[in-house]
Amino acid sequence: MGLREYVVRRFLQLIVTFWAFFTLLFVLFRMMPGDPTSMFILDGMTPEQREQRIAELGLDQPLYVQYVEYIRQLLTGDFGQSFIYREPVTDIILIRFMNTIVLMGTALVFAYLIGVTFGALMGWWRNSRFERGGIIVTLMARSSPEFWVGIVLLSVFVFWLGWFPSSGMRTTGGELGGGFVARYGSLDFLRHLFLPALTGAIVYLATPTLLMRSTMLDVLNADFIEIKKAEGLPERTVLYKHAARNSILPLVTVAAIATGAAMGGSVVIETVFNWPGMGREMVRAVNNNDYPVAMAAFFLMGSVVILMNFVADLAYVYLDPRVEYE
Amino acid sequence: MTLLDITNLKTYYRAEDGWVRATDDVSLSIERGETVGLVGESGSGKTTLAKSIIRLLPDNAEIVDGSVAFDGTEITELTDSELRKQLRWSEISMIPQNAMNGFDPVYTVGQQIVQVIRYHEDGTSKAEARERARSLFDELGIEPDRVDDYPHQFSGGMAQRAMIALALALSPSLVLADEPTTALDVVIQDRILETIKKMQKELNSAMIMITHDMSVVSETCDRIAVVYGGRIIEIADAETIITNPRHPYTLGLRNAFPDINDDDQELISIPGTPPELVDPGEGCRFAPRCPFAEEACWEVTPEPESYGDGHEVECHRADEVELLQTEAGKKETWLEQEIGRPDDPTADRATAEVESDD
Repeated sequence: MGLREYVVRRFLQLIVTFWAFFTLLFVLFRMMPGDPTSMFILDGMTPEQREQRIAELGLDQPLYVQYVEYIRQLLTGDFGQSFIYREPVTDIILIRFMNTIVLMGTALVFAYLIGVTFGALMGWWRNSRFERGGIIVTLMARSSPEFWVGIVLLSVFVFWLGWFPSSGMRTTGGELGGGFVARYGSLDFLRHLFLPALTGAIVYLATPTLLMRSTMLDVLNADFIEIKKAEGLPERTVLYKHAARNSILPLVTVAAIATGAAMGGSVVIETVFNWPGMGREMVRAVNNNDYPVAMAAFFLMGSVVILMNFVADLAYVYLDPRVEYE
Repeated sequence: MTLLDITNLKTYYRAEDGWVRATDDVSLSIERGETVGLVGESGSGKTTLAKSIIRLLPDNAEIVDGSVAFDGTEITELTDSELRKQLRWSEISMIPQNAMNGFDPVYTVGQQIVQVIRYHEDGTSKAEARERARSLFDELGIEPDRVDDYPHQFSGGMAQRAMIALALALSPSLVLADEPTTALDVVIQDRILETIKKMQKELNSAMIMITHDMSVVSETCDRIAVVYGGRIIEIADAETIITNPRHPYTLGLRNAFPDINDDDQELISIPGTPPELVDPGEGCRFAPRCPFAEEACWEVTPEPESYGDGHEVECHRADEVELLQTEAGKKETWLEQEIGRPDDPTADRATAEVESDD
């Protein structure tokens, strides 16, 4: 089977996976106890008003009608109205999703760049002080709670050194640019981004570091590493071009899954740094039975997981010639 | 002309309970174009001996004493970078046991051959290096276009040929072949050995062939060194080692391999296991497994004794060659209960301890 066929088939699989995911989401949300009106009854809603509201939302229709309507809406990118805000869900969720992508994306890029390099060197200098110290530092980073890391960074860089702003995404009263670059490219934004992204990076660092180290140890035992050394090639060629290049393969999958998971945002980081991201919005939506918002949030997160796995599979084809298209 | 001269080489491994003497006081010299076989059981130290030559040793190994002179250059005194640039691969290359694992799986075989050629030869262009890889493939009986294949696309025998191409890419003066055919079936094995011989002759490269297979060395080697317990216990030309050995261990090894012309031959194995090499102490290291061991064998380490034509043997009883050869051919000689030190003080102590426990 050729490469093109493989990609096409993998793409068709992707579509089936998405459909299964949509359906599962639909079923899960219809199974949840309570309905949005239960929140309003407290506000003195009469039973008639309640019926009317349910009819407005289309929740009195048979399930299959709701399902067809649901699929139609997803395909047109329409997630409906928030039950609570009475605003289009897309408006509420998209902006927060972008905020989360920028924050978590930055954190992940740093975590994986540093982690892979650090882990590769730890494996290469096995049994050295560097490796032992590295493991301790990594495990400490891994076991520190996110909120604690965040608060420590806040007290050092904000309250003590005063280098960074303490919270939010931009200075109050600052110009809110319209475009993506204006929004996320400004120096003011980057200064706000630094600490929460660093917190995320510290928390995410351990996985790539430790995984890279252990695969390096395996790869360094392989016969071909000895041959490359016997060939007289310089150490850094053997380290980077051969040992690290082979060790990075399992990390592709892990990175893809981590990215998917990170797109849910981190409630803790967002709370500590008052970052308007997905994590807090999802908690709010779930607490208020705001189905459309919660569903859109889960939909985006799940989609990223599925998409990233697709990307990882394609990356594998490029990175590992042994992958067979079967 | 002597190409490689190893004198009193000692390569030890650090272990928790002391030094493991993997190569202990070994001397061996090799002429240009000559093929020397190193034969011995697993763990006898033959691979360590070969890897000491290019100092391709793990971190816990150390050449503690002795000299390795290659074409007049003292290898033990070179810096790492001199060793890499002057000797590794350009002068001394190797063929590993499992060629499939000897190539980096993520690059094509051609890329890897080109890489090593271009690293060692500044003036060679990519196209020239590639052309050389193709013509080597051709000579070794592989379709030249297959230089663009990845290692996993080769069969075992094909990968071994490709590895030979890699090993010979820089026309080295010495090739270390570490059990190059063990992973292959007999028919392929034979063809590969022929190919190696042919190419070696063309390039006038010397070779050290490491194996535990007597039939392989007898076919390919000019001389054979039998390694036991980190020492060369017998060395001679191939003919002598096969037909007229003097060391009981060599005689035992010979028993363990079938002779195709002898229908009635019964294979006899040597009882016991190779010795622990942590501080082995004085005495012949084969004594615990030797049916001919005498008092002196347990007390005094035998020195190499010369028997003409470069035949050297480390055995106290090598003079009694007729007796050894006759007795070693009998199965009864090698029965386990007949072997061992009759009045071994350590054995007594062990028994005494068991009794006192009751």
